[in-house]
Amino acid sequence: MSMPAFKHKMAAHCESGTVAALLNHAGLEISEPMVFGISGGIFFGYFESKKLPFPTFVVRNRPGQIRTNLAKRTGVKFRTERFRDPSRGERELFRLLSNNVPVACQTDFFYMNYLPDHVRVHINVHFIILAGIKDGSYIVSDCYSPDLALLDRDSLMKARFAGGSFAPRGFLFYPVFMPHNIDFRAAVWKGIKSAAFQMVKLPVPFLGIRGIRRFAQRVVDWPKLARDAEHLSHEIMKINIFLEDQGTGGAGFRFMYATFLREASEMLGDPDLLEMSKRIMEIGDRWRAVSLFAARIGKRRDLGQSRLAELSAMIHDRADAEERFFTDLLKLSKSKRY
Amino acid sequence: MKQKEAQVDYKDHQLVLYVEKKDGSYGPVQTGSYIAKKYLDDFWSKRDNLEREYLEKIRKGEASPIAFYMILEELTPSELASRVRIPKRKVKRHCDPRHFGEITMAELMRYCEVFNVPVINMFRAIISNKAGVRIKDEKSANPFFGTLRIEVGKK
Repeated sequence: MSMPAFKHKMAAHCESGTVAALLNHAGLEISEPMVFGISGGIFFGYFESKKLPFPTFVVRNRPGQIRTNLAKRTGVKFRTERFRDPSRGERELFRLLSNNVPVACQTDFFYMNYLPDHVRVHINVHFIILAGIKDGSYIVSDCYSPDLALLDRDSLMKARFAGGSFAPRGFLFYPVFMPHNIDFRAAVWKGIKSAAFQMVKLPVPFLGIRGIRRFAQRVVDWPKLARDAEHLSHEIMKINIFLEDQGTGGAGFRFMYATFLREASEMLGDPDLLEMSKRIMEIGDRWRAVSLFAARIGKRRDLGQSRLAELSAMIHDRADAEERFFTDLLKLSKSKRY
Repeated sequence: MKQKEAQVDYKDHQLVLYVEKKDGSYGPVQTGSYIAKKYLDDFWSKRDNLEREYLEKIRKGEASPIAFYMILEELTPSELASRVRIPKRKVKRHCDPRHFGEITMAELMRYCEVFNVPVINMFRAIISNKAGVRIKDEKSANPFFGTLRIEVGKK
């Protein structure tokens, strides 16, 4: 099969980038931040569980919701499928690629062997686009790869049918319907309202702003949970990775959200959104200060109680700033007609 | 974040960041990873130390190779059990070197798929102190047989 005409483009995040790329390929011009913002992707959650090797946090909504929320708010329809039988999943993928249909697949990130070793971890919610087959390997458009990559059949099968949390079970999707007229005004404001609501109103102590505060409170206790100083250093430095490197566009998606608000302000001619975009950009700058601080103290093994208290205070400060921001954003979304 | 603050020259690990551009607009830039450029050596040094520590435990009979790879890949017994499709109590048992020998070949192969290592790596460690040695495991069509290729003088 010859190289398909799919246009590969790097993106900040795998799910929003994959959805945006598929929609653009299907003829709908939409940016990654717009996909992220309409789907209400911005979030915070702090998790501690026996199922996790160490406490962790997330800075986006649940995997899969970027696609489902976007579809609900724009009217775009995706065909989705999961498979009990891996061979049926492989046959369906082959059929679609033979018909020149680029397909997004959910995979275990660990098996993406075209990416550097140090980034590859077992996490079952990595989305890639398969754009064709060449010499028995799959042509992969991965938002984290500068170029189209090749992935061998064995690795792709392992990645698509890995077990564990969020097991992909061969999940694939591709757009099948684009509405002629999308009401972007309503879609944007619904996305903003849901994101702001989830940040400030969820009555769960580890989600939204409450999650940021819990993170700030608990990070000082991390030394009790670590095996040794090197393990603690590794986990503290992962704060930087989760905020900057793990497909967030910087500052835990805050920079991407600022870009969305600015784009929405221009699209809807709304100066209030422009003002909010500047505010979240500033908030993002301070999150970046948190992540750089974490990387620095982790590298130096400067992880005494006073340093962790300093880190905790910085995170508390972010919680306060985000509480003010998302409360104002929620009020704004309620004051608009759409 | 301003564009100039985001620019990092590191080709091996590229990513996209959203920044305030020179003209005041917001948008994406492709750049190198700051943490990979500045701190990757620290990451590998910690990983090497962890590997050494656990290999020593295996030699002393204090840990099994399953425990070694589980720690290295940052998995919990429940997550590993779910991936290998066996009960969690069995994984915990297999982490104990006294019970490592009870693993069936089928289970061991499923463990190795998760860890992405050849089965033989469950029974030995490959260590070289010579620079320029490249060690590569090659699979064959036979799932029980592979080749360990050692190439000297290649980068």
